[in-house]
Amino acid sequence: MTQPLILIIEDEAPLRRFLVPTLATQGYQVDVASTGAEGVVLARSYNPDIILLDLGLPDKDGLEVLRELRDWSRKPILIISARNQEKDKVGALDLGADDYLTKPFGAAELLARIRVALRHATQTVLDTPLLQCGALRLDLEKREVTMDGALVKLTPLEYRLLEALARRAGKVVTHAQLLNDVWGPVGEGQTHYLRIYMGTLRRKIEPDATRPRYLLTEPSIGYRLNME
Amino acid sequence: MTLEGNPPQGPPAGPILVALGSDARSLRLVHAGFRMARDQGRPWVVAHVEVPGWETPEEADQARVWLQEAHELGAEVVWLKGPTVVAGLLVLARKRSPSLVIMGRTRARGPLDRLESSRAQEMLRRSLDVRILSLSMETVSKKPAAWGNLGDAVGITGAVAVILVVTGIFGAALEMVAGFPAVPLAFAVALGFIMHRWGRGVSALASLAALALYVDRFAKPGGIVTGEGWPRFAAFLATLLGAQILVDLMGQVRQETRSGRRREAETVLLMLLGRALARCATVPEVSEVLAQRLHSLFQAEAWVLLPGPEGGWNRLPPGASAPDCPPPTLLLPEFSAAISREDPLEPLYEAPCSYVALAGPGGTEGVLQIRLAEGGRFPQESWGLLQAFAVQGSLALERIRWLETAHRIRLENETERMRSTLLGAVSHDLRTPLAAIQGAASSLLLPDGALPEEARHDLLNMIREESVRLTRLLSNLLDLTRLESGIIRAHKEWQPLDEVVGSAIERLERQGPSPVRAELPADLPLVPIDGGLMEQVLQNLFINARLHGGDSPVVLRAWAGEGSLEVAVVDQGPGVPPEFRQKIFDKFFRMPGQTRDGGVGLGLAICDAILKAHMGRIWVEEDPGGGARFRFSLPLDGPPPDLPEPDSLEPAP
Repeated sequence: MTQPLILIIEDEAPLRRFLVPTLATQGYQVDVASTGAEGVVLARSYNPDIILLDLGLPDKDGLEVLRELRDWSRKPILIISARNQEKDKVGALDLGADDYLTKPFGAAELLARIRVALRHATQTVLDTPLLQCGALRLDLEKREVTMDGALVKLTPLEYRLLEALARRAGKVVTHAQLLNDVWGPVGEGQTHYLRIYMGTLRRKIEPDATRPRYLLTEPSIGYRLNME
Repeated sequence: MTLEGNPPQGPPAGPILVALGSDARSLRLVHAGFRMARDQGRPWVVAHVEVPGWETPEEADQARVWLQEAHELGAEVVWLKGPTVVAGLLVLARKRSPSLVIMGRTRARGPLDRLESSRAQEMLRRSLDVRILSLSMETVSKKPAAWGNLGDAVGITGAVAVILVVTGIFGAALEMVAGFPAVPLAFAVALGFIMHRWGRGVSALASLAALALYVDRFAKPGGIVTGEGWPRFAAFLATLLGAQILVDLMGQVRQETRSGRRREAETVLLMLLGRALARCATVPEVSEVLAQRLHSLFQAEAWVLLPGPEGGWNRLPPGASAPDCPPPTLLLPEFSAAISREDPLEPLYEAPCSYVALAGPGGTEGVLQIRLAEGGRFPQESWGLLQAFAVQGSLALERIRWLETAHRIRLENETERMRSTLLGAVSHDLRTPLAAIQGAASSLLLPDGALPEEARHDLLNMIREESVRLTRLLSNLLDLTRLESGIIRAHKEWQPLDEVVGSAIERLERQGPSPVRAELPADLPLVPIDGGLMEQVLQNLFINARLHGGDSPVVLRAWAGEGSLEVAVVDQGPGVPPEFRQKIFDKFFRMPGQTRDGGVGLGLAICDAILKAHMGRIWVEEDPGGGARFRFSLPLDGPPPDLPEPDSLEPAP
């Protein structure tokens, strides 16, 4: 089996100098584009297995590039962005990006995210009606949640919230996506519903609600079900 | 005077009650009340009774303006509603038992009206057992022209009738009874009255007519004159002249009283204007005050024109635009010149508006534009008052201009100071980690084998740590700048605090083992906060506690206060000495002797800015255990929003 191909769309040379050797030494094939237009062309030509996309590109809006890529590609896209661009991050995730990394980031974090994204790309949700992370076990068919084998009683809403996260386990799910999945159109913009039910859910699942192990918060963006 | 008890004969202690109408002249009542209250050292209450359906909205507004004036003069003001004015006043008077009621008396329109008005007063007097002072509210009737209207047939007939009645019946009767020559006296009084009422010409004609009618009476021995022919006529003329002098003197006295009253009223008006202007902090406020006062005083619309860009004018107050009343065609310097060439008091008139320069000691600030409701030029007797208004207005404008200049200079100084502090701190705190990174990198690039493996590892670690420090410094600087300039706003949402605490701890743990333990009660109320910003507050406090508290545990506690959520972050370090408890929230403040490992001094300043954006506050106190106890308080403002019933939202099977 050939090594996965990673396309990096990033205009800043220092960051490219850091990314290319780091990824190459891990055995990935790496391709680099320094503009959005070039990136779209390369993506069409080589159909990479994963794309690292910087939102601050010189020639066009990173979100625009993302939209063009998502028109035809279902491959994982990892967003790289500067801090304080929460809105752009949320926008990118809502447009179908798989995850994001905030600059500056370390090599370990980058590699971990790439591994998760690649793993997700190779398995579909339907293959795994059973989800096990640590002591938490989720049976999507039986609609059953157990903790160390003991049944956890959830209200229908709490279950639905957990299920929505589990279907994208390991990935960030934005507030808007969760609200839409759980509440439908009624929930639009009502982030406090989420926060409150997330609080009750954590109290039932997490050993220490203030140090969540499973239900992680991505501040200002959304939540993630931790698979590690 | 003794301090104990009331002097038995002293005036009653109740307040002075002024019953205010909506009449434009009611200000007189307010002034009377003010004077009496001041002279007698008593409280005073000004009340307006609104009788539904009786007042037009304009009249009600006018009454409000007078009440406002009264309030500024120190009165307690009351706005009542009642079926009749008397009923309203009775209710108020029973509550307040005034010692004196001042009310207006208007000219009765007919005998019934007069009866009604006096009955009302009588009722008040009886039911309250109170003194009532009623002031005439009539406008001063116009003085007749000196010679009157000679063609005024009614006047002449009336005058003759007066002379006949007074001299003939009253004078003659008195003379007959008392044997005292009262006819000449009565004649003089009658003439005086006629002159006052109808003018000199009519009185001369009337007296001639009366003379003709009375020729018989005058000719009689023992009558008005005992002589014959010319002397008799001369005596008649002398009587006429005497009456004239009497009338003129009376007129002068009245005139002086009237103008004295007017001057006093003007002084009060100017004082009120000065007070109102002193409270203005912006140019639009000044223009509002001027427009409002001029409107209530002259029934005129008024605007302040300020020199705008390119020689144009800015008209204030902005809302009140008058399309048919254009700004003057003259530019400001030319305008002042045009003004100074005329009589200094006369306003420039350019139909349909009058213009007065707002000129003060600091130069001409602008122009006052006035349009009288009835149109036309400004009456001459008001020129002086108008100019005084303009001077007060220009002084207020000038004061504001200076205030703004002073504020700008202070701001510039502050910015400059901040910039140099910032440069100093930033250059030092940027250079140090950069120097470390540069040094470490160049050491690592030395030919292979020059460094033992362990040293290489240390250097690499240092590069990573120093770049983390640089990143933190930069993001803190950016955050603070954005918070202070308002680019970042708190987007508050109701949420439990747990989540924010959790993600702050999690983020801290990513940088190493965290000493923080959170103790949150399960029934902690939801709180409206910006999750991202609040997380930063907690993180900064945790980092601080870890830096200064050593490895000792840090505890976070939260509890519900009265209308607020209270949070405390407690460490077991050396604590903060009392003299620095305020200052540590200042930008770039470092405690004396503190190393740069303690940070640049931005973390707490950011916490302070974020708490302020939440209308909350943050402070530090000493923990009974000896460490520092950072406390902050978040307002809950109101109950949390309702959640839709979970049952109704149960997912479809």
